[in-house]
Amino acid sequence: MKVGTRMARRGSNTLFFAGLLGLSLPVLFLIFFPLGRLVTAPTFEDLVHAIREADVQAALLRSLLTALGAALVSLVFGTPLAYLLSRRDFPGKKLVEGLIDLPIMIPHPVIGIAILGLATRDTVFGRILEWMGIQVMGTYAGIVAVLTFVGLPFFLNTAKAAFESVPERLEHVSMGLGAGSLSTFFRVTLPLSWRGIVLGMVMCTARAISEFGAVIVVAYHPMLAPVLIYERFTAYGLKYSQPVAVWLIVISVILFVAMRFLSRPVRQW
Amino acid sequence: MLKIEGLTVEVPGFVLRDVNLEIAKGEFFAIMGPTGSGKSLLVEAITGLLPSNMLDFEGSIWRNGKEITHLPPNRRNIGILYQDVALFPHMTVEQNISYGLRYCKGNGANAQKRFQFFVKRFDLGHILHRYPARISGGERQRVALARVLVLDPDVVLLDEPISGLDPLFQGDIRRLLRQLHSELGITFVMVSHDFEEVMYLAQKGAVIHQGQVVQQAQIDEIFNRPASTFVARFVGAKNVFKVRFENGLAYIGSTSVRIADACLVPDFDHIVIRPEKIVPVLDMPDIRTGLENMFWGKVLEMSYCNFSVHLKIQKDETIFRAVWPEIYVRKMGLHVGKKVGFAFNKADVSTFREAK
Repeated sequence: MKVGTRMARRGSNTLFFAGLLGLSLPVLFLIFFPLGRLVTAPTFEDLVHAIREADVQAALLRSLLTALGAALVSLVFGTPLAYLLSRRDFPGKKLVEGLIDLPIMIPHPVIGIAILGLATRDTVFGRILEWMGIQVMGTYAGIVAVLTFVGLPFFLNTAKAAFESVPERLEHVSMGLGAGSLSTFFRVTLPLSWRGIVLGMVMCTARAISEFGAVIVVAYHPMLAPVLIYERFTAYGLKYSQPVAVWLIVISVILFVAMRFLSRPVRQW
Repeated sequence: MLKIEGLTVEVPGFVLRDVNLEIAKGEFFAIMGPTGSGKSLLVEAITGLLPSNMLDFEGSIWRNGKEITHLPPNRRNIGILYQDVALFPHMTVEQNISYGLRYCKGNGANAQKRFQFFVKRFDLGHILHRYPARISGGERQRVALARVLVLDPDVVLLDEPISGLDPLFQGDIRRLLRQLHSELGITFVMVSHDFEEVMYLAQKGAVIHQGQVVQQAQIDEIFNRPASTFVARFVGAKNVFKVRFENGLAYIGSTSVRIADACLVPDFDHIVIRPEKIVPVLDMPDIRTGLENMFWGKVLEMSYCNFSVHLKIQKDETIFRAVWPEIYVRKMGLHVGKKVGFAFNKADVSTFREAK
């Protein structure tokens, strides 16, 4: 190839990538600029003052614990479903998969209303909950229920992908070597997919900790951090809500970094 | 030992139909067939791995006189070695080999003895603490084999055990399997489409085509006396001709072929001659001795492969295929278009009647 032709091709490549970068900038701006502005807006004193407030501490802790609670519920009840969907074909499977993704699409206040509607005395489920002494409106149970509802699709899809990444052949070998299905799951499938499952929990927690629309319908109190931020914004304005928002971001980042660290691929093999 | 009776399995888009196999204790049995013929489905049926919700299952499978058709895979005592060996990547070699021991009935001392025996027999002592990703392909194959054999299974299924291996290790594993078979009398059932592997290892076998067993016999017989055009072509017997039989001779068009009486099948309408059985007629009288079918033809095509030459030779309207050593071809100065003499023994002609 002639030197001139090569240089012309290199020039056209550079132009192409410069174009890509130019078109990407608005997206990066949209993500980083508001967040950067938010994080740098409050002074250090504002942040210290905010975190010393009992209401802020309680709301942040509640957000963290209820989001983790939702992730835990997803882990216990979502793992079997994710495994089933990854390994078996059955009539209506596509429908089930579609239903799982539904919470991602529907407006979140609608989720809150739906959960509340199910828990009324008019329904069998509501009467069972009442018999068990479980209330949904204004309780942690209600909050965890809606957070699970919004976070579950993220857990299920990630866990399902993790199970699918384990070759079914290994499970067959395990069974051929005398292990039953349960033993195979705990000795082969889970050790090879747990990082994906932890990642699913991270996704679920991430979704749950940021939920506002569904939570405010089910429980204004006990107050979660997003509700507190909203309350302070509407009552006192932007400046007063920003420090709490920064602390919520900080806690979320710490939590996700820690969970990502735990689930990092440390391959001995 | 292992008996399959009237096995019919239907999965979406495929039917394994009325499979009957009988494999004796200590036998090395080969199941052969092209890709998509149903070999893997048969293996899954034998091991009990077929998902029960997606199949129509008929027939029965017996092991040592006991029906195992409905037993789960973990209670069949049938070991399986896959082509990709499928070692557990998160376990060391030691953990892989001892994986199934906790499910073994009987005392632990015996299990430990077997573990030690196979570690020593397969020379795995120095890699026991390594992970599968850190060992060679041949070592992986030996670990997978040890993992199965340590459980003392009644039958070991080998799913294309050698074809996926680096050619460097293929000979080693082939020899190892043969030694194990003769030393320990293990019953092996091997799925393969590698003729060389089958000829080297197996005594008996079956050919599967479109979900049906089309021939079950001694390996020599399958290779030298194929029972249909499909089997003949599948086992590389490329000279398959439709013939008419008159006055003790088979006619391929105008070319008459002599056939040994022992090779005659009632009402046959096809003959088969393996390309390796057709020899060049050299200027050497001893080579010609005993070759009852001798012809002249014209070389149509020549292709070189592994120091052999694959030839197409036209005799009247019939094309014969032969495989000759390169050295003969050079000596004869063969080239496309040249006239050449070729011959084959009447005992090397097999016959069959094609099923309608």
